[in-house]
Amino acid sequence: MSLLDIRNLSIDIATAQGKVRVIDKVSLTIVDGSIHGLVGESGSGKSLIAKAILGLHNASWTVTADRMFLGTTDLTKLSSKNRRRIMRKEIAMIFQHPRSYLDPSKKILPQIREVLPTISIKRRLLNIIKRSPEPSPRLRIKELLHKVGIQNDRIVLASYPYELSEGICQKVMIAMAIANNPSLIIADEPTTAMEPVTQEQIFRLLYKLNQLNNTTILLLSNNFGSIRDLSDYITLIYCGQTVESGSYKQIINSPMHPYTEAMIKTILDFDENISHKSQLYTLPGNIPSANQLPIGCRLGPRCPRAQRTCVINPEPLNLKGHMISCHFPSTDKN
Amino acid sequence: MLINYEFNEDKIQSPLQYTWSIFKRNNIAIAAMWVAIILVMIVIFAGYILPNTPTTQVKQLLLPPYWIDGGVSDHFLGTDDLGRDTLTRLIQGIQLTLGGALLLTLIVSILGTIIGATAALTKGLKASILHHFLDALLIIPTLLSALILIAIFGPSYENCLIAVSLSLLPQFIRAIYINIENELNKQYIIALRLDGAANIRLLRFGIFPNILESMVSLLNRIFSLAILEISTLGFLGFGTQFWDVELGALIASSIGLIFSSPWLVLFPGIAIFIIVLVFNVFTEGLRHAVIEGEDE
Amino acid sequence: MLNYISRRLNLLLINAFILTIIAFLLAQWSNGQSLTDTNYIIDYVKYISAILQGDWGSSIDNRLILQQGLTAFASTLELCIISFITAALIAIPLGIFAGFYPNHFLDYCIMTIALIGLAIPIFWLAVITTMLPRLTGITLPIDGGISPIFEVPVVSGFMLIDTLLAEDLYQLNAFYDRLAHLFLPSIVLSFFLIAEIIRLTRRSITTVMKSNYIKAAYANGLSKTRLVLHHVLKNALPSIIHQLRLQLSTIISFAMVIEIVFSLPGAGVWLLNSIKEEDYLALPAAVLIISGFILLFSIFIDIFLMIISPLKRKSLYVD
Repeated sequence: MSLLDIRNLSIDIATAQGKVRVIDKVSLTIVDGSIHGLVGESGSGKSLIAKAILGLHNASWTVTADRMFLGTTDLTKLSSKNRRRIMRKEIAMIFQHPRSYLDPSKKILPQIREVLPTISIKRRLLNIIKRSPEPSPRLRIKELLHKVGIQNDRIVLASYPYELSEGICQKVMIAMAIANNPSLIIADEPTTAMEPVTQEQIFRLLYKLNQLNNTTILLLSNNFGSIRDLSDYITLIYCGQTVESGSYKQIINSPMHPYTEAMIKTILDFDENISHKSQLYTLPGNIPSANQLPIGCRLGPRCPRAQRTCVINPEPLNLKGHMISCHFPSTDKN
Repeated sequence: MLINYEFNEDKIQSPLQYTWSIFKRNNIAIAAMWVAIILVMIVIFAGYILPNTPTTQVKQLLLPPYWIDGGVSDHFLGTDDLGRDTLTRLIQGIQLTLGGALLLTLIVSILGTIIGATAALTKGLKASILHHFLDALLIIPTLLSALILIAIFGPSYENCLIAVSLSLLPQFIRAIYINIENELNKQYIIALRLDGAANIRLLRFGIFPNILESMVSLLNRIFSLAILEISTLGFLGFGTQFWDVELGALIASSIGLIFSSPWLVLFPGIAIFIIVLVFNVFTEGLRHAVIEGEDE
Repeated sequence: MLNYISRRLNLLLINAFILTIIAFLLAQWSNGQSLTDTNYIIDYVKYISAILQGDWGSSIDNRLILQQGLTAFASTLELCIISFITAALIAIPLGIFAGFYPNHFLDYCIMTIALIGLAIPIFWLAVITTMLPRLTGITLPIDGGISPIFEVPVVSGFMLIDTLLAEDLYQLNAFYDRLAHLFLPSIVLSFFLIAEIIRLTRRSITTVMKSNYIKAAYANGLSKTRLVLHHVLKNALPSIIHQLRLQLSTIISFAMVIEIVFSLPGAGVWLLNSIKEEDYLALPAAVLIISGFILLFSIFIDIFLMIISPLKRKSLYVD
């Protein structure tokens, strides 16, 4: 069953040189209870997709989608009030550079307390009758912080964001995200600018959340290697176009799009014997700038298999849940 | 690479072109820009476009403007209590007030930039003394310092300009100083420094492009203050001698006639208002274009 | 924190020193003495000790300058305070609204008002306002600080307070009369202040609204009122207060001009008359009183900001 179903999401941003289509008909289906990796180079539009899902876009964006459903609610038709209600309960987001996403003029404690789920009066009355009081907010916050692996909660709660490291701030953000037990957590490159140990901790934390609470996680990353083994499903995007999407097995064992093949080749494999100072594999060329996007398949100029038909946008192929947008997918199964 | 750079239709614009193309979309700002240009033209060519000589007196005193009963087309905006043409006096007033303010803004900005940049780039005792001295000067309200300077030099139009520019200079220096100081702490300036850039190069390529936005609004602020202050001093009777009419002095001289002939008070005030408004809208549009250009 | 306060106090002393030097030079000039003749360090010390003992000299009509200046400035301050309170009550909500809904129709209206308020020459607006009572038929006094029938003893210098203290003489009549005299001048001044505060508030709020933590607060599903009260204002207010503090000297300048138009006794009228009578001893006194007030007030605001805003305290860590 799919929790989040997005069909043909397009985002146009108005600039002085006219509208630029930064996201071009991206489709994304996220299965309930899975970790879905969304991989693309920086600037490929991952964060834009996440912001469009949450409705955090500003006025110069035009967001169009054929279908954007979270469970049974249509996200495109939500009023801002209902959207707010959903954001608290259903979707939570974890950002990159977490420190800038915490209010700099407030200590951590009130910031977490603010997002704690409110207990209805009815339930409170029932609790009084049943003589089983809810744990105090302070206790719940402490539990949350312990859950995300912050031991010295007292010090952290009494600090301002600028007194904490990025890693701790990210853990606080995760604690705030899971406070309401959302069904979907969107993690937007949660480990940029962190040392490997903290990165590992954050990933382990997300994995644990997925396993224990059955929380669905949409994991955005520009590093295919780091999230590959964490994800159940993987979608690759390039310059705002979906390239290939499928389960872990389908993507890793039988990649069919030249971009995916290139991405897999770029992962450093330390088991293999790489000769000293040999050149590592990359696609030729660079990612094009947003106002010079090629028409048709945007990978075209860099693609080793490009032909004349590639100036037309390829129709996505669907092979048992394995979606490929390419005119010439590789068919050999290895 | 298959991207054809030669025949690409929309080239990547230079920052200046980009700012301009954003600015062009803002119709109000464009209109303000044209009005501002016309006003500056009036200042430059005032001598050629005056409908009458400002001192000529006709027998019809206190004529109302042309479109009100009793007005004549010879005196489009009417005449004052001595029979002098209001439009002529108004244009001359605009020339003195706006011209003075433009000149003053130019001088203050050049001097202020030099002193401010020097202060920001030097360290040690000299900078510290300058810093504190400016601090103290900033505390004195501009009107008070202008009054003091007028009291020392004696009232005249030139002295009024000097007094206003001296009272605005500390503000400008301080703002420039703070802006440059903030930029100096940023990473790319350190990188430029490590590249071996000398101070001039640092200012030209590192700092000024990045403080452009605050420079624009600062210039606008200094200019508006200059206009308001010149006319205020004129209004208080310290600005001009009786033969050259400055807008504030025009208002002051007609206060007694406010009920018999209110337009004599209204027109100069509206002229000041339009000048400040137009330049404000223009620079605000410019500032927005600069900000937007940096955002994307 | 203590370190910061001591640094501010240090700055206060240096600035006060420079101000006294300026005042001293002015006093020397107004007395017609040139510096080269006498030993100026001794002169300066003499001058300062006279100032500290309250001997500020007397004006041409033999009134004590210190007394005169303080009463005049208190009256100016009264006008400023009343206008500021009115303006803040009107402008801050408008500015918050404009910053919160940028590019909204009402935002354009509010910003147009602000633009007009900043572009209108304040003395002209004051002149136009003096016509209002005649044109509308409402009886409001347009000149003087209080009707001459009331003789209010000067206690605090703030005439509103003095009239209240003199209640046994005139009941509240003197108080109401003073209020009526302040009405039009304070409207003119608050018109400028409203424009200024709207502009500052809007700019500060839009900067905060663009920041990441507000996006995060949106993503956390906080309600709009909560967002404004708990996150936006808390981060925007310090910079608004700071900017207003920098405007203080402009506000006092404008208040003095308005007083001159309405012939409201105050620092403006006092200075103008002194200069016209070539009684230049008022100038150093004005520098000391007005600038001294601004200096003390600025430092007070700085320390206050440091207390309420953790962001400012953050910069202390870095230093």
